[in-house]
Amino acid sequence: MGKKTDSSQVIVVTSGKGGVGKTTVVANLSTGLAQLGYMVAVIDLDIGLKKLDLILGLENRVIYDIVQVVEGVCTLKQALVKDKRYPGLYMLPAAQTRNKDDITAEQVQRIVDELRQSFDFIFIDCPAGIEQGFKNAIFAADRALVVTNPEVSAVRDADRITGILENENFKNIRLLVNRIRPEMVKNGDMLSVEDLMEHLCLDLIGIIPEDQNVVISTNRGEPIILDEQAPSGQAFRNIVHRLIGEEVPFPNFDIKPSLFQRIKDSLFKK
Amino acid sequence: MIDLLKKLFKDDSESKSRSAANDRLRIVLTNDRLNLSQDVLDSIREEIIQVIANHIDIAGVPEVTIITEGRQSAVDISIPLKPKGR
Repeated sequence: MGKKTDSSQVIVVTSGKGGVGKTTVVANLSTGLAQLGYMVAVIDLDIGLKKLDLILGLENRVIYDIVQVVEGVCTLKQALVKDKRYPGLYMLPAAQTRNKDDITAEQVQRIVDELRQSFDFIFIDCPAGIEQGFKNAIFAADRALVVTNPEVSAVRDADRITGILENENFKNIRLLVNRIRPEMVKNGDMLSVEDLMEHLCLDLIGIIPEDQNVVISTNRGEPIILDEQAPSGQAFRNIVHRLIGEEVPFPNFDIKPSLFQRIKDSLFKK
Repeated sequence: MIDLLKKLFKDDSESKSRSAANDRLRIVLTNDRLNLSQDVLDSIREEIIQVIANHIDIAGVPEVTIITEGRQSAVDISIPLKPKGR
C-alpha cells in the first residue's frame, strides 16, 4: 500500500493545558484519514506519560518506542505499531519509563523526515506544557491544531501556545474546540465558539460537542469516529474532510448575539 | 430613557457566567501577551501624567487603557487638558 499524495502534511496537535482532548483528537483524525485510504503515522511524544496507544486500543502491540529508535536499539520500521483496523495507520509509541529530555527536536525531525517518504499524514501528539516536550513536538511540524475547551484556563493556555507558535513562524494554525455544550452556551453559561475564536484570533478547523459516547468508546479502545451515530464522531469526520481540503460547513451550535449585545457592540466598537 | 431601553432589551446576559468569562479572559490575555501587570500599567499612567502635567494643566481624570486588535495591542492614553483662561 502506498501514499495517496505526493506531499505529506505534518500536523502537531497541541493545547498547553492537559486534559483538553489532544490524544483523542489525534486518535480520531488519524483513524478517519486511514479510513479514507490515506497512509497515516501518529507519533506519541508524551514521553513518560504515554496514552495514545491506549486510546487507539493498541497497547498490547507495543514492542519498541521512539527513544529506542533514536538510540539505535531498533529501526523506525520495527518500532511502528500497525493499527488493528486500518492497514494504512501506524503508531510510533512514546517511551513510558523515560523523560522528555531523552530526545531532541532534531531527532524528532529526522524521524519525521523518514516518515514523510511513506505517509500522507503525520500527526504529532504533543505533551501538555511548554517545555522541552512541546519544543520537540512543534519543531518538525508544518501546521498546528490548537485544541481547547470552552473554559478560561484552557483558553489562556491555548493563547500562550499560539503566541509561541506565531513566534516560531507557524503560518498554519487552526483552532479545534472540544467538549462544547451548545445548551449551556445558549443559556449564557459557557463560552461560545465565536468567543474562543475572538479571544485566540484563530480560524476554526472544527467543533466537537460534549458527548458521553466518547467515554464509552475510549473504555473499549475504539476511536469515536468509527461510531456512525455519535454526534462527536460526525464532528471528527467533518474535520477529516477539512484536512483533505474539502469545504464542510460548520454546524450552527452557537446562538446569535442578543439584540442588546449587538447594540452594545456597535456603540462601543473601537 | 436609556435605562428603560436597557431594561426592555436586557436578557440578563450581563449577569451570566459566559460574559464574566469573556471579560476576565480579555484582561488576562492582554496582560499575558504583553507581560504587563496592572501595577506596571498604573505606573506608566502616573509617569506619563506627570510629564504632561509639568507643561500643561490637566483637567479631569486621565485614562490609560490597552486596546487590542487581533493579537496586536496598543496603549491608549487620553488626558483631558484644561483650556486656557477659564
